[in-house]
Amino acid sequence: MNVPQQLVNGIIIGHAYALVAVGWTMLLGAARLVNFGHGQMYMIGAFVAWWFMGATGLPYVVAVPFAVLVGALLGAIMQRLFLRLTLSQDLVNLMIVTLGFGQALEGAAGLAFGPKPQTLASPFQAMNFHLGPVWFTAQDALQVIATIAVFLALEFALNRTSFGTAVRMVAEDPPLTRLGGIDISRVYMGIFAFEGAAVAFAATLVAPRTPILTSMGFDQVVMTFVVVVLGGIGSVGGSYVAGLAIGLFTALFGALVSPAYTAAAVFALLIAVMVLRPDKLAASGNFAR
Amino acid sequence: MSTLHPLIRFAIVVALVALGFVLPRLFGGSQLVYDTLVTIAIFSAMSYGLDVILSDLGEISLFHTAFFATGAYAAAILTVNYGFNDWVALLGAVAAALLLALVLGIITLRTREFAFSLVTYAATVVCMNIASNWDFLGGSDGIVGIPPLDLSIGPIELTAGQSVEFWPYAYALLLVTLYFVHRFRRSRLGQAALMVQMNPRLATMCGLDGNRIRLQVFLVSAPISALAGWLYAFQRSYVGTDLFDTYFLVLMLTSVILAGRRILLGPLLGTALLLSQKSFASLGAYGDKLVLGVVLVAILCLCPRGLASLKRKPAATSAAAEKPATSTSTATTTIAKGHRG
Repeated sequence: MNVPQQLVNGIIIGHAYALVAVGWTMLLGAARLVNFGHGQMYMIGAFVAWWFMGATGLPYVVAVPFAVLVGALLGAIMQRLFLRLTLSQDLVNLMIVTLGFGQALEGAAGLAFGPKPQTLASPFQAMNFHLGPVWFTAQDALQVIATIAVFLALEFALNRTSFGTAVRMVAEDPPLTRLGGIDISRVYMGIFAFEGAAVAFAATLVAPRTPILTSMGFDQVVMTFVVVVLGGIGSVGGSYVAGLAIGLFTALFGALVSPAYTAAAVFALLIAVMVLRPDKLAASGNFAR
Repeated sequence: MSTLHPLIRFAIVVALVALGFVLPRLFGGSQLVYDTLVTIAIFSAMSYGLDVILSDLGEISLFHTAFFATGAYAAAILTVNYGFNDWVALLGAVAAALLLALVLGIITLRTREFAFSLVTYAATVVCMNIASNWDFLGGSDGIVGIPPLDLSIGPIELTAGQSVEFWPYAYALLLVTLYFVHRFRRSRLGQAALMVQMNPRLATMCGLDGNRIRLQVFLVSAPISALAGWLYAFQRSYVGTDLFDTYFLVLMLTSVILAGRRILLGPLLGTALLLSQKSFASLGAYGDKLVLGVVLVAILCLCPRGLASLKRKPAATSAAAEKPATSTSTATTTIAKGHRG
């Protein structure tokens, strides 16, 4: 086994997991919303970028911000739809509604983009770097750098800006935040739009590696559930570390034991953690701390 | 309903049961009608498994697709690989579901709300992953060539091939499920589950062990979905990893939510509406998905208590919304009555 290559692969996959998970972490930490439609939003992000490139002939680098914009818009629509349930903290109904939302997105995407697998073509995918025993593509490097940048920016925004403070207040106690004179529906709008934008951004960076399908939603982001939970629900820094750790774990487990059972192994790990440390999983207990 | 004389109520139930049985013929008796009604019967039986968890325990189990698949896989393996008869396959399906429910129930005992949902979801992913890789379960090809249903006992011949012949069995399964869920809600366990959901502390003070009740309810619900899976395997004569599809999950959740929780016929009506649309007014696979998703989102955003709440008086609806206060007292009185009686 080429150990350095596996480690590099692990780091790349890990950053992909962390980047795909970051919006969901925010949503869960600040709005206590388990978004089962996250995978479909990822799929939409990838397909919007693909469609944009085909329809306008503009390059990949223009398609990325467009997809992010559409993602943010989708997040805003979610906020309009789910605000009442979010405010009443009807957690059971919230979970179900996101499942339905994801299902609707998948159906709409199938109607709009067709059933065929497509490729989101990134010019960076063809640029290879060889450093001694390891190789990676420019896309990989870009995605790792972008992930680190997003997490740093998010940490900064949460801890150093007034809007970030408002988000942290909402995470702690929405009614009290409202009493403090803050328009919490605007704060929620920011959180939801960030979720949409972040997952679309992740999709445009991660999806060029594999063919994209409108039915890929759930499977593609299954690992982000693990990342978000193992990182400590809603903890931004924690989800970065968890993403990286799971990336390394899947790369090494796939190389050493069996690639087919990687998902099962990771989820077994998740179950073990959730059962042994249920107290760590209280909603929003660790948010931005 | 409760004001009616028991005999009249019994007569109404019998009439409804008889009407239900001839329903496919009333709708023209075509192949499509029979196919649709058989699927409605099986899928609503499947939904009742989830209904028990969602309505009575107040949690969302995302593992019920796996119970459904467990029943189907057990039927396939026992009949195709080992040549057992269909009754043994039925027992196997129930036993396998109970075993899985026991393991998962113990694992999830201390988890609540979304932690519970995430663990059950994770367990489903693990099961799907195993099913698509383990040759014993057919791997990604699944198991094909399940023989037609044959439940003959001695001289009584009970076989079913086509949908028309299949209908009585699917209908019987549905009736058994309905009766079972009805009995469950009236049982001490059903009442206790409600109380644990509404007011866990009060339940503890009444001497109820919340974890134990959760586990028992989980054990009650699993075989319901598994039995539906068992029959579905014979209808399709093939099982595969597509049984774990999110579609089934969303279908179950929507059908439970659609009419409203804790309404006995709710999941049946929900499933019937959704599948009738799929059969008779289909918009293609994607269109149907879109409809299913939109219906679910619309229900929860517009009337989270289900369609049945629309015709109730506003006062009743707001009382239902204040569930910790009012409903608990109802549950307590019922429990108290149960103890006295």
